[in-house]
Amino acid sequence: MLLKSAFSPIFTVIPTTNIHRKLLRFVITNALTQACLQNVRQNVSMYAEANPSSLLVVHKLPPTSAYIHLPFCRKRCHYCDFPIIALGSSSSSSFSSSTRTANDDCEDPRILNYVETLCREMKATKLSSDSNPPLETVFFGGGTPSLVPPNLVALVLDTLSSKFGLCANAEISMEMDPGTFDEAKMKQLSGLGVNRVSLGVQAFQEELLKACGRAHGVKEIHEAVDIVKSCGVENWSVDLISSLPHQTPDMWEESLELAIQIQPTHVSVYDLQVEQGTKFGTLFTPGEFPLPSENQSAEFYKMASRMLRDAGYDHYEISSYCKNGYRCKHNLTYWRNKSFYGFGLGSASFVGGVRFSRPRRLKDYMGYVQNLENGPVNHSEDSFTDYKDLAMDIVMLSLRTARGLDLESFGEAFGGSLLLSICQVYRPYVETGHMICSDSNGRNITSDEFSFLLSDERKMNKVLGFLRLSDPDGFLLSNELISLAFGIISP
Amino acid sequence: MSSLYRASKALKLCRATPTSFSNNNYTSRLSSTCYLDSVLEWTQSAFFATHSSHNAKPTIDLCQYSSDKIRNFSIIAHVDHGKSTLADRLLELTGTIRKGHGQPQYLDKLQVERERGITVKAQTATMFHKHSFLRTETEFLMNLIDTPGHVDFSYEVSRSLAACQGALLVVDAAQGVQAQTVANFYLAFESNLTIIPVINKIDQPTADPDRIKAQLKSMFDLDPSEALLTSAKTGQGLEQVLPAVIERIPPPPGKSNSLLRMLLLDSYYDEYKGVICHVAVVDGALQKGEKISSAATGQSYEVLDVGIMHPELIPTGMLLTGQVGYIVSGMRSTKEARVGDTLYHTRSTVEPLPGFKPAKHMVFSGLYPADGSDFEALNHAIERLTCNDASVSVTKESSSALGLGFRCGFLGLLHMDVFHQRLEQEHGAHVISTVPTVPYIFEYADGSKKHIHNPATLPSNPKQRVTACWEPTVTATIIIPSEYVGSVITLCSERRGEQLEHSFIDSQRAFMKYRLPLREIVVDFYNELKSITSGYASFDYEDADYQDSDLVKLDILLNGQPVDAMATIVHRLKAQRVGRELVEKLKKYIDRQMFEITIQAAIGSKVIARETVSAMRKNVLAKCYGGDVTRKRKLLEKQKEGKKRMKRIGSVDIPQEAFHELLKVS
Ligand SMILES: Nc1nc2c(ncn2[C@@H]2O[C@H](COP(=O)(O)OP(=O)(O)OP(=O)(O)O)[C@@H](O)[C@H]2O)c(=O)[nH]1
Ligand SMILES: [Mg+2]
Repeated sequence: MLLKSAFSPIFTVIPTTNIHRKLLRFVITNALTQACLQNVRQNVSMYAEANPSSLLVVHKLPPTSAYIHLPFCRKRCHYCDFPIIALGSSSSSSFSSSTRTANDDCEDPRILNYVETLCREMKATKLSSDSNPPLETVFFGGGTPSLVPPNLVALVLDTLSSKFGLCANAEISMEMDPGTFDEAKMKQLSGLGVNRVSLGVQAFQEELLKACGRAHGVKEIHEAVDIVKSCGVENWSVDLISSLPHQTPDMWEESLELAIQIQPTHVSVYDLQVEQGTKFGTLFTPGEFPLPSENQSAEFYKMASRMLRDAGYDHYEISSYCKNGYRCKHNLTYWRNKSFYGFGLGSASFVGGVRFSRPRRLKDYMGYVQNLENGPVNHSEDSFTDYKDLAMDIVMLSLRTARGLDLESFGEAFGGSLLLSICQVYRPYVETGHMICSDSNGRNITSDEFSFLLSDERKMNKVLGFLRLSDPDGFLLSNELISLAFGIISP
Repeated sequence: MSSLYRASKALKLCRATPTSFSNNNYTSRLSSTCYLDSVLEWTQSAFFATHSSHNAKPTIDLCQYSSDKIRNFSIIAHVDHGKSTLADRLLELTGTIRKGHGQPQYLDKLQVERERGITVKAQTATMFHKHSFLRTETEFLMNLIDTPGHVDFSYEVSRSLAACQGALLVVDAAQGVQAQTVANFYLAFESNLTIIPVINKIDQPTADPDRIKAQLKSMFDLDPSEALLTSAKTGQGLEQVLPAVIERIPPPPGKSNSLLRMLLLDSYYDEYKGVICHVAVVDGALQKGEKISSAATGQSYEVLDVGIMHPELIPTGMLLTGQVGYIVSGMRSTKEARVGDTLYHTRSTVEPLPGFKPAKHMVFSGLYPADGSDFEALNHAIERLTCNDASVSVTKESSSALGLGFRCGFLGLLHMDVFHQRLEQEHGAHVISTVPTVPYIFEYADGSKKHIHNPATLPSNPKQRVTACWEPTVTATIIIPSEYVGSVITLCSERRGEQLEHSFIDSQRAFMKYRLPLREIVVDFYNELKSITSGYASFDYEDADYQDSDLVKLDILLNGQPVDAMATIVHRLKAQRVGRELVEKLKKYIDRQMFEITIQAAIGSKVIARETVSAMRKNVLAKCYGGDVTRKRKLLEKQKEGKKRMKRIGSVDIPQEAFHELLKVS
């Protein structure tokens, strides 16, 4: 409220109805936006007190989520460019036969060493405020976290709990690969509190799994699913990758069907990104054989969206689907631009408004932890926020979700004029159906209504609710659409 | 004042003291701070700069060089026959530049010249040379002007010739007489200059000086015995060049005891000194500190600095009859310095010199700011550059597709290209250029006539019936080995040419004259000609009359909207082909976007070519990046930056290369 009234004078000096659109856009983006973003800064402290859920402060609140990177893999998949440590197939920690339990005494010293360093990092981390709320979500990502012996996972969870506190009903997720755990290990992990499993399936075709350099086959997938189910983990997700080399539409349809058959509560559908420096990167060019064409890979995306929705999944984010009530709470932290801790090799954290990525090389990371223990690492916790960056992050993250961008909060935080220019730039795409606007009651409004509202800024502020990308057409072009807003925020 | 020679000596005596006094004064005040203080008043830094070079060489006393000891000559030739290299050798021979120091083609100073290996701007250099003439050892002052060879810059040649009494006509000993040799010979001949034929590059294995001598005789009636044989590369024969200049070329004819008349040859803008004018003193003498006026503007100025190009600016305090040099006079913009203008002593009355006929603009194109850089920045850059290249005409225009910009007239396509490159290199401007057009005339039923320099200004569906259209033509000279005659005739008739003359230079070379529509030669004619003659053709043209022609306006439409900046005017018979080519080019350069894009070429409301760019299907980042928001952001920001380099027309983003590519369609 406070902000709105502070801005209205600036806003009303422009007789919006009389000015040529192009001119209007020019004036707004070049003059007002800049002025507004400056004023935002002056108003922010006043505003924070009035509304603690404001987009301007939400990211500064103390984190209630933690990402833990467990980088070990048996080998590197051909598409992967994450910071991982390949153990090789001889690793004693890998689960390979029923005669050997996952609690094998002879732990790989590399894992033990790493986990110890990880715990040192957590202990050395400065708490972001005095009144630290306990963690509500923990996410073990990798790598292949399921390669880590449960006793070491326990060590991590204990450390987290004693340092930051852990809610009794916290969502604790772990990425697990078929063939890396048995029932005993799963039970142990459940016992430690891991209550959400993200299963790295990727595909249901032997030849594709092999071509990707995955360390498991189809049989291991089904075994893993059985284990997860028999251990009573009800919140579990399947990861699939589309647009793999030599993947045909039939194969993709089969993968989706089989994924639906095994009834996970959540499905993540990733689209292969051919990254430089990976094996795929040196072998393939996107859009060229054996990778599917752009058209084909768009069809894959659409097929996933249609089949999963038909099977009762909610497409709640560009690459995430879930049964009612099973959204990944941890990931929502990201999409809502909330703060989170990050621990471990190469992991990113967002604390006190500062994004920071840890070193991706083990030696550098060790050094980083050492420094952290010797004194506070200077990544200037209280650095001032660049409001353009903030606005861009919020647009980018919100538009990845089916909920979309909360126009009212955005306008309150960054000013009506910026909001108006963003709406203006999206107007043609509301018309083509790439974007959908809803009013404050959640009702979708037509493109004509939308255009009309933009000509009347008082009404606009009252009526507009959310602006979102349509599924699947808008999602498919999300990079294009999001970068349009970037062009407005930071011309 | 019976003799200027004496008069100037007297002047020198009485003025020497105060001049040097003030000079010292400046030096002592400035020497410690000048380099650091960039906001120095320009006159002061001018003094300092000139003074420092002044120290490097002994003071030059121009009084020693009365008209009879002066020779002014140009070096003219076909492209690449070695003018600039010959100039290097002469400058070295006279000790003006040191041998082995500085780059080859020393006078080609511009970055474009160095990169392209061609001369674009004529350059003057004053040299001193001792020669025993009429049995006495005499030191001569010689002004050499190196000229460009390319046809686009022949205007530079004609201006240079106005300051000369003679010319070295350089001919490559292997290539022989080429089209610009002919053109430049006639320029010099018509200016009544003494012509010294120089057969250069005799070191080449294929050199055939006798054949060249015969060509010179048959083409220009030049006496074979007068030709000098040189190699600017090895130095062979160079010692004869300056003696020939001294003995054959007459001294400047001006009257030293008349009132001062100076021809303004060229001007450029120097950040520190302001406008620097190159002048030829035709009559009378000029002293530093005097007041001069412009015949064209009536404005008067004080001569703050005067000197010679040696080839760096060397102050001499004066310029005497027949001498060529520079003046700094406090002009702030080169608009005040009109090339061809007569400068004279304020309050005297003189008959203005004939000057030059104005440069003829052959092609016009729109220049618009690219990369989101703004109009004002481009405006500034163009103003600055036109200070150094006055042959460009500039008027403001606006395009609904590209916004505010300029319509510029150029002497040819190479000139246009060079202008763009100089804007970018010397002034940091980024431009989009529209398809160049030649100036047309349209006549309507009511008898009114419209001159079209921008196709967009021609109505696509005119209210008045067009009764006649006129297009400019040129008279082209083509010289080729005789075996290519057939294919060249075919090319010229495809280009709507009319043969005017067909003869032979010698047993191996044919000489042809054609009348061709300017439009047909503007874009790719020369490349085409070169390719069908294995590079052996040479080509030159001069402008001729307008001719009646069946012309139509070709519109380009994106998603049904005409793009004014892409409109062209073409001959009706060529419309179909050009339309298709344009549309195909555009399709190649327009990336898929969120909508389907239709590209059409149309005459009036009739579509003659059409292509579509299908809609982009997918651009999404569906990867598990966890919390690594920064990386995602970077990707999208890159995308945003990519859009910035596009021009948005309606809803369609067009990459700037697309405009550049359109230029290449004939
Ligand atoms: N072999 C040989 N090469 C020469 C001679 N003189 C010049 N060249 C070469 O010919 C090329 C063109 O020389 P330039 O001096 O730039 O020719 P130009 O006539 O000034 O060219 P434009 O100014 O573009 O018309 C260069 O590569 C020179 O090195 C010569 O006497 N012998
Ligand atoms: Mg040259």
